[in-house]
Amino acid sequence: MSANPSRDSRLLRGARRTLTGLHPALESLLAAVIGLLIGALLMYIWGFNPWKAYWALLQGAYGGSYEWASSLSRATPLILTALTFSVCVRAGMFNIGAEGQMLMGAMAAICVTYFRMPVGLHLLVGLVFALTAGAVWSIVPALLKITRGVSEVISTIMFNWIGRWLALYLAIYVIVDPMRAEKTLTVPVTARFPILVRGTDFSYSFFLSLFVALVLYFILWHTTMGYEVRAAGLNPTAARYGGIRNKRTMLWSFLLGGAAAGLAGAAIVMGMPPSYAAFGGGAFPNLTNIGFDGMAVAMVGRNHPIGIVAASVLFGGLNAGGRVMQFYGSNPVPLEMVRIVMGAIVLAMSVPELIRLFPAIRRQGESLVRLLRRKGESSEEGSS
Amino acid sequence: MNEKAVPEPRQEASGYILRAAGITKIYSDGTVALKKATLEIRAHEIIGLLGENGAGKTTLTKILSGLLPPTHGRVVSPRGAVRFTSPREALDFGIGMVHQHFALVGTFTATENVALSHEKPFSFIRLAKTRERLEALMEESGLRVPLDVPVEKLAVGEQQRVEILKVLSRDVKLLILDEPTSVLTPLEVDELFLLLRRLRDKGTSIILITHKLKEVQSVTDRIVVLRRGEMVGDLRTIDATTERLAQLMVGKALAGEPTAVELSAEQLPKAQRALKRNEFSSEGVLHVTDLVARGNTAEIAVDGVSFDVHGGEIFGIAGVEGNGQSELVECLTGLRVPVSGEATIRGTNILGKDPRQIYRLGVAHVPEDRWRLGLVLPFTLAENAILGVHQWEEFRGPLGFLRRGKVNQHVRQLMDRFDIQATGPSAPAKSLSGGNQQKLIVGRELAKDPAIVVASQPTRGLDIGAAKYIRDLLVEMRGKGRAILLVSADLDEVLALADRLAIMYEGRFMGESCPGELSREQIGMLMGGVSCKEVA
Amino acid sequence: MSWSDLLSLLRIALHAMVPITLTAVGEIVGETAGLFNIGLEGILLISAFAGALGARIGGPWMGFLIGAGVGAAIGFLFAVINTYWKGTQMVTGIGINLFAMGFVAFGLIQLGAPGFFAVPRTVQLIKWRTAMGAMSPMIVVALVLPFLIHWFMRRTRAGLILKAAGEMPEAADVAGINVNRTRLFAATFGGMLAGVAGAYMSIAWIGSVTKDLSAGRGFIALATVVFSGLNPLLALLGGFIFGFFQGLAEWVKTLPSKPIPFQFVSMLPYIVTLLVVSGAIGRVRFPKALGESYKRE
Repeated sequence: MSANPSRDSRLLRGARRTLTGLHPALESLLAAVIGLLIGALLMYIWGFNPWKAYWALLQGAYGGSYEWASSLSRATPLILTALTFSVCVRAGMFNIGAEGQMLMGAMAAICVTYFRMPVGLHLLVGLVFALTAGAVWSIVPALLKITRGVSEVISTIMFNWIGRWLALYLAIYVIVDPMRAEKTLTVPVTARFPILVRGTDFSYSFFLSLFVALVLYFILWHTTMGYEVRAAGLNPTAARYGGIRNKRTMLWSFLLGGAAAGLAGAAIVMGMPPSYAAFGGGAFPNLTNIGFDGMAVAMVGRNHPIGIVAASVLFGGLNAGGRVMQFYGSNPVPLEMVRIVMGAIVLAMSVPELIRLFPAIRRQGESLVRLLRRKGESSEEGSS
Repeated sequence: MNEKAVPEPRQEASGYILRAAGITKIYSDGTVALKKATLEIRAHEIIGLLGENGAGKTTLTKILSGLLPPTHGRVVSPRGAVRFTSPREALDFGIGMVHQHFALVGTFTATENVALSHEKPFSFIRLAKTRERLEALMEESGLRVPLDVPVEKLAVGEQQRVEILKVLSRDVKLLILDEPTSVLTPLEVDELFLLLRRLRDKGTSIILITHKLKEVQSVTDRIVVLRRGEMVGDLRTIDATTERLAQLMVGKALAGEPTAVELSAEQLPKAQRALKRNEFSSEGVLHVTDLVARGNTAEIAVDGVSFDVHGGEIFGIAGVEGNGQSELVECLTGLRVPVSGEATIRGTNILGKDPRQIYRLGVAHVPEDRWRLGLVLPFTLAENAILGVHQWEEFRGPLGFLRRGKVNQHVRQLMDRFDIQATGPSAPAKSLSGGNQQKLIVGRELAKDPAIVVASQPTRGLDIGAAKYIRDLLVEMRGKGRAILLVSADLDEVLALADRLAIMYEGRFMGESCPGELSREQIGMLMGGVSCKEVA
Repeated sequence: MSWSDLLSLLRIALHAMVPITLTAVGEIVGETAGLFNIGLEGILLISAFAGALGARIGGPWMGFLIGAGVGAAIGFLFAVINTYWKGTQMVTGIGINLFAMGFVAFGLIQLGAPGFFAVPRTVQLIKWRTAMGAMSPMIVVALVLPFLIHWFMRRTRAGLILKAAGEMPEAADVAGINVNRTRLFAATFGGMLAGVAGAYMSIAWIGSVTKDLSAGRGFIALATVVFSGLNPLLALLGGFIFGFFQGLAEWVKTLPSKPIPFQFVSMLPYIVTLLVVSGAIGRVRFPKALGESYKRE
């Protein structure tokens, strides 16, 4: 922005006004584009054809109904763990514990195997178990923060690890499948999410995610509790002065966030064919990184449920598309490139106001020129 | 402290060491902080920089010490024009500033804090050497401070001495102190002034920013008075009488200066500026008795104030900011717990309660820092409008849902009633101008139908139109029978609006025992700490 | 537990301590200055990979050089984004982790060694033959470095500058210190140490590169930093404790009859860290400005 706004052309001013309005979504888009470009650059350096690869990626992600199903299926748990992170961010806290909370939720959902229940109820009970487990797992860090001021970043990371080991223990010793020691009990048919598109792993769990996103949206923007959470997150002093008890909002956000993460675990073990179980032997291959990827989704989705759904469709698409991309063409790009692109996107996201950055660089250049010019002037000036 | 400064036999002030020439500072929002200020600083001189809040004292010194660039004008030394782009450059040149809020790292000891500002930026100097230097410096200057204690554990006076040592260790030629005595005990003040005189005799120039008349007369050689950004007086201290100073600081409107506050005849307060207690038809709403409270740095900020506010009146508390007004308001609005005393609203105690409870008792608060306390800037107009009342029945639906419709209706009413200019209820609060933000806050608070409105610096930072609007509102409220407590550093405002007023200085009300009406100059003197007896 | 078992445990612990301590000490420097880098995991992984490549080209020392360089570069990038560009540290860190995971996995495939790349014995760092078995000389480095850093932070002005930048950047600014540049140096140094740690894992200890080689050690290092309260000597202790429990867990796994499931043993260091942070054991205090970008008002 130049120092003298009236000097800017009207076109520029109009463009700037539109940019500010669409601002957040535009930034995410820009970050996504930059991430993809970085990926393309790396592919090029390594001797691949980026455009062919991206074409395959696109096809594999959104090419047909099977592909869409695949993408959305991968998007499902990401929506939930992204919500975990975002709800807490809205309250002004960093909840890094989605990994652990999700694992606890998964374990709890598997416990539903011990009961025998009719079809719909079984699933529901499993969900309740899962969200409770997730909420419980995130309560302790929340309480530690409220009572002793312990950084929730640290405590949630610790609980991730404690949760991981606890889950491993449970998976190997307690809820283990008596026939195959490397996996847990299988979730019975009565407690599974029905498959939505035959031949894919896309199940009704997707609607669970959407439902939770909707519910959280409503809670945050349409209830007094959500209002208090958001106010406390944005300006704790003004909120306190407005009669809001910040400790309560912190607690609520962690409870809701933990519940969402727990549900993510349930969505996987109760909704993902063919195994419908967790694998203690390989340290939960189908459950790892869902928490961290969810955080990436949350950031790209700007911590808003709608943005999160959109971002998760992107990330899910990247995952699904990658699996096709790795077989496409004469020199296919390994699917690990997808991770690289995701990382690049998040890195680009971490620079705020990317759009403003370019004018900023231009301004630096301008001020440097001015400085040089002034140095020339002052050497001509004597004492006044 | 009662004697006026007598010039002691010392070296005559030599040529100037620094001159601020035609300094004008206009902030990005258009406020003119300084208008062509010119100041010549000579060696062996203590200059007192006097003025009310917003007069421009801090701005001027920040420009001198490199924290702010001037919009026009320049700073000149005998060697040529000087331009500082950072505090470090100013320090290297020889100008050091001791701020009101110390720039000390709490967990460091004094030695470590001083070592931080050594000349060489990136060096492996051992701390032991620094300590030796400090000890020598302490000997020389007579400043004594424990060197090995984390400064956060030191008393405020000691912390200030560490700040001064820090600056002295850089061999400064000009030392600027911003309101240094506001956190000191009388004994510490005497020690400080002793030190300043010693430094002056050695050749250092000193600028002392203050609003306290007695102090400025006791220790300075020269007094410069700023008013609304302009230099209105530059006189030798021996020539400066208290009356003259008060007149310069707050006296009658200067030629060409627009009167800040205009009220029509009907709006003028019924009782004029007397401190007498009048008979009021309505009973007292707020009763405060012997309130004592500590500030953030554990010193006493409110030192036993008592007053009543009745329905249908505006009770004004005048005084330069930093004399306890903020702490007083915080006690009354639930943000601070006082040490002792009583405060009741219609008989119910309000001290120590949390803000929501105090709301319910009928206290509305227009905070002095609207961005920090009054608004959640990223929130929309509508969301801000219900802050504090969001739990009300009319906005709350089943299951705790917010009745968006009702909220929007409420906001539109507010926007109409208070003429809030914005694109709509969903405009983000930060897009509003300062005046509209303040109107939003005032409107929100008044919508609570409060028993008393506590307005703290309500027109600070507002343009003339917005300020007038707010003042009209307050007057209107008074007409409707509400009680209003107005805390303002703008003397014109308080004088124009208040039915009764008190002047706060160092935590106490001044001039309560003064009989009869007070002139503007007399009030100015009271604001500067002069006691009743001496206000002729 | 027999004597030889104990020695073996000790040996494992010391080796496992190295990457954690080195990374933790580096992060201590960074956090003291106010930067919280959650991307240590990613730095470890990438520099393990880069180090292995470097070793293949020019022997173990080249490997360490490259690894340190890569770590420093990432630390530098992290710092630039979060100081001059006023970014969000949490987001950058997570981005680094994601990127590194993909990059290493991808790179392994490109090398023709998908999933597993063995660093040839010839280019691995030598191990000394001792009574306890083969020990890496890097253990000495890991033992000595914390003391050096501790001395540096306590007794030099540069250490003061770091602390001021993290505790009260306003005071540092007024004292003429360039806060952003300080943080830049600190995070670059921290990244460099993490880079050395990563290279150690592939060239001097485990001897191979897999796509999850770091196995959470970056986060363990963060936990160690918390445990240490930003004291490098305690980070040494913490690193040893974590390494010890890792070894202990391994040992428990080998026992014929399992008294405690090894998972609980593995949990212990994290529980202890939690207790320390909650003030149950000792009080730790972090720089006030940790995690916030600094802007001069």
